[in-house]
Amino acid sequence: MTLIVNILVGLGVALFGFALQTSIGGINRRVVARLQKRVGPKWYQEFIDIFKLLSKRSVSHGWIFDFGVIMALGGIIATAMFMPLTSSFSAFGTYDNFFIFVYLLAVGMLGMAMSASGSGNPWASIGVMRALTTMLAYEVPFMIVVLTIIKLSGSSSLTQIQLFQQAAGHNWFLIALPIGGIVGFLALMGMLGKKPFETYIAPGEIASGPMVEYGGKQLGMLFIMHEITVFIEVSLFVHLFLGGATNIFIFLIKYFLVYTFANLISNVNGRFKIDQVVKFFYKWPLLAAVVQAVIAIYFGWVI
Amino acid sequence: MANIELLILLLFGSALVAYFLTKLSTMAGSIFTIFATMFVFVSLAYYGFSQNLDTSVNLIPFFSFSQTYLGFYFAIIIVFVYLMVSFFHPYYLNEYKYKDSYNMLFLLSLAGIVGAFYTDNFIQLFFFFELIIWTTMFLIPQGKSREAAVSYYGFSVAGSVAMLLGIFIIFQQSGSFQIEAGLAGLSGTPAVFVFVLFLIASFAKLGAFPLHIWLPIAHGNAPHPFSPVLSGALVKLGAFIGVLALIKIPAASIDIAAIDLPLGQYIVAILGSLSIVFGTLMAIKEDDAKKLLAYSSMSHGGYILVAFSLMNSVALAGGFYHILAHALASAGAFMAIAAVARQTGTTKMSELGGMIHKMPITYLAYLIAIISMAGIPPMGGFISKWLIFQAVINKGMVLVAIAVFFGSIGSFLYVFRPLAALFLGQELSEYKVKVKEAPLLMLIPTVIIMLLNIYTGVLPGALLGFTNNVIVELGFAPIDVTTFDITGFNGVLNPALISLIFAVGVAVAFVIFIILKKSRKVGLMDTYTAANFVHDEHVFHYTKDFYAPLERLYEKQSTWMTRFYAALAQKVMEVGRLAKTLFMSKYVEMVIIFIVGIILFLLWGEIL
Repeated sequence: MTLIVNILVGLGVALFGFALQTSIGGINRRVVARLQKRVGPKWYQEFIDIFKLLSKRSVSHGWIFDFGVIMALGGIIATAMFMPLTSSFSAFGTYDNFFIFVYLLAVGMLGMAMSASGSGNPWASIGVMRALTTMLAYEVPFMIVVLTIIKLSGSSSLTQIQLFQQAAGHNWFLIALPIGGIVGFLALMGMLGKKPFETYIAPGEIASGPMVEYGGKQLGMLFIMHEITVFIEVSLFVHLFLGGATNIFIFLIKYFLVYTFANLISNVNGRFKIDQVVKFFYKWPLLAAVVQAVIAIYFGWVI
Repeated sequence: MANIELLILLLFGSALVAYFLTKLSTMAGSIFTIFATMFVFVSLAYYGFSQNLDTSVNLIPFFSFSQTYLGFYFAIIIVFVYLMVSFFHPYYLNEYKYKDSYNMLFLLSLAGIVGAFYTDNFIQLFFFFELIIWTTMFLIPQGKSREAAVSYYGFSVAGSVAMLLGIFIIFQQSGSFQIEAGLAGLSGTPAVFVFVLFLIASFAKLGAFPLHIWLPIAHGNAPHPFSPVLSGALVKLGAFIGVLALIKIPAASIDIAAIDLPLGQYIVAILGSLSIVFGTLMAIKEDDAKKLLAYSSMSHGGYILVAFSLMNSVALAGGFYHILAHALASAGAFMAIAAVARQTGTTKMSELGGMIHKMPITYLAYLIAIISMAGIPPMGGFISKWLIFQAVINKGMVLVAIAVFFGSIGSFLYVFRPLAALFLGQELSEYKVKVKEAPLLMLIPTVIIMLLNIYTGVLPGALLGFTNNVIVELGFAPIDVTTFDITGFNGVLNPALISLIFAVGVAVAFVIFIILKKSRKVGLMDTYTAANFVHDEHVFHYTKDFYAPLERLYEKQSTWMTRFYAALAQKVMEVGRLAKTLFMSKYVEMVIIFIVGIILFLLWGEIL
């Protein structure tokens, strides 16, 4: 019985994440427009786009094309259901293990990659290739920083990590591990696919990469998936580095600030080539992550 | 009661029967092989889980057997892979030149497997190892190349000789060929020697860095139904010797205080990490699907080594579970590739495409297998990798962690490649007509392995409970496992819950998909082509050099090991040529001088 309630709560979290990110995405379009001296669309423009797409009739390139989309959205919804919103609110208590977010997210990604390759369009395959390569680039430095965090806080549960940071005498990990915090943010930029790591979408270059063949409901569902993915990734950063949140308003403020900051940086940058992305992450961020891990774990130098 | 001795004799006997039956008809011989293998599997499984096998010896002189949880765990996994693969025999054997002997050698190597894991004596262990090597050596060249067998044999024998030396050192110190007593009785410098020698054997069998070079050659060129055995089963022998060396030999090296680990174990962890990184990078680059999976076996061998070198129960549980998960995943993937190769005659990804439209079940089997191989929930690979991550993080081993995480993310890259290039993408015209789904007898093991891959990921509680027996037997505390929860160092995992939530997510997505307007089905060529008319599927299929931008970054370094071994082979040949000129030239006086020199050298320490 409690399981059913928990599942419903989890679905609520996923829906909330979708609504939140879609609204904040809309607001951010206005913020960016101001940056470029435009007015920008209404804040609910993204909702209009998605629901319009969902109502359109579309084409399909075979069963794997559709199945991949379902698997992608399903995987991402499942991942979002585990996400705690504050340190006291999580659908499945302390089962919110960090590795679930990294690897269950990968199921969704795999579904999307499968569906894109199943469309038979080489641009889609190139896009998938770039997305996976980018993932290989940002994930390793990020995981090393998270290793440091788990080692220091003694738990890989996101709720426990939040509580550890909120406890008296502890700082947010962004402050406690400043070098790691920077690496974490760079990895977040890579995860979100923001410029300069936007290589795998690259609209003018490879015709939006994985998205090239989609339209109608499939594209609409992938948009929903994308919004929830962004919600998961930004929330991860908030919980891991910014001390999480004690109530929902603090969460909203932190979430908005992180996403807007990433978006602003994105809009004043160009785009890397894919091998530059790999070289970039395996040079300074990885080194910085290792240095941070060593000084934090073996020397105990934590602010 | 099943008796080990009788099982082995039965396998020898049925090997003979299988030879003559196969001579009469391939089908009859193969069916007989399936039943013989099944009999062994069922008897082991029925009595083995509760350790009720009869180990008494009445018929074969000088042999003795004993049962351990450790040996049983390895034996049951390997025999299971043998059983699954035997279903493939009727469809492949006719292509091979020496098909009569295929089933016989297959059953003989199985006898070697059963013997090796149930023996309690080092000399017998060596004998059974040689039996496995010698029988499989004649199976491999029935595939594409004879050189593959040479390379496999060379490395295997190097490993066995190292092990034999180790066995002699053990005998010298403890005076016993008994496995338990011999290993426990080691101390001081001999312990270090045995540790190193056994690890050489383990690395050579497991195909770990730097003794990995044979792995892609042998796996890639072996007969299609034999590659799953090589990767899923036989390399695990290396893991078995690895356990003997890493866990059972009392640590004699200096302890590194910061991570609370003996130096020897730490070096093995680093070498395991190098295996992971090398295997991953080479797999990303490979064009042949079977060689790609072979490199992935190398990388997974690295995970197993890392797990066993960490010396705590969570890591051990991760290592043992990884052996099971990888055996299932790799057997499943190799079997799917074998099914494709049977239809198309090639395993090169650049020549294949769009197999999913004709072989959907094979595709699903491959998909499930690679999800497990990449360590993504809800499959078995996730559980074992999670446990290994827990152990690595708990030790705070940063360098090892880089490799472990790199291999885990890198595996997404390489396992996706056959998926995209071989199964998905454009359906190439040459395969549109003649390709069919694999026959029913081949689908049975494929589906069983598929279901087991899911089972190991959803409900690992019972299986981890069994690995706990192995861990306790090795002298460690069992890990905390209930029906649903697995507790590591810094978190609790509930795989059943994850799977349930995943199902809920997919169900929600499916409902959204189904209530929206139905889409119109179009062909694969009806896609965005930048307003060009594309008339040929081949030019519209992205398969060659899939990760070209990434590969370019390490192109130069990727041939290091091959060149090193080529240079080594050159040197060995030069030594051989020198010996040839000395002993087999027409100048008799040269030979005499040399022989006198050798005699003088040998007498140096004795008399002179």
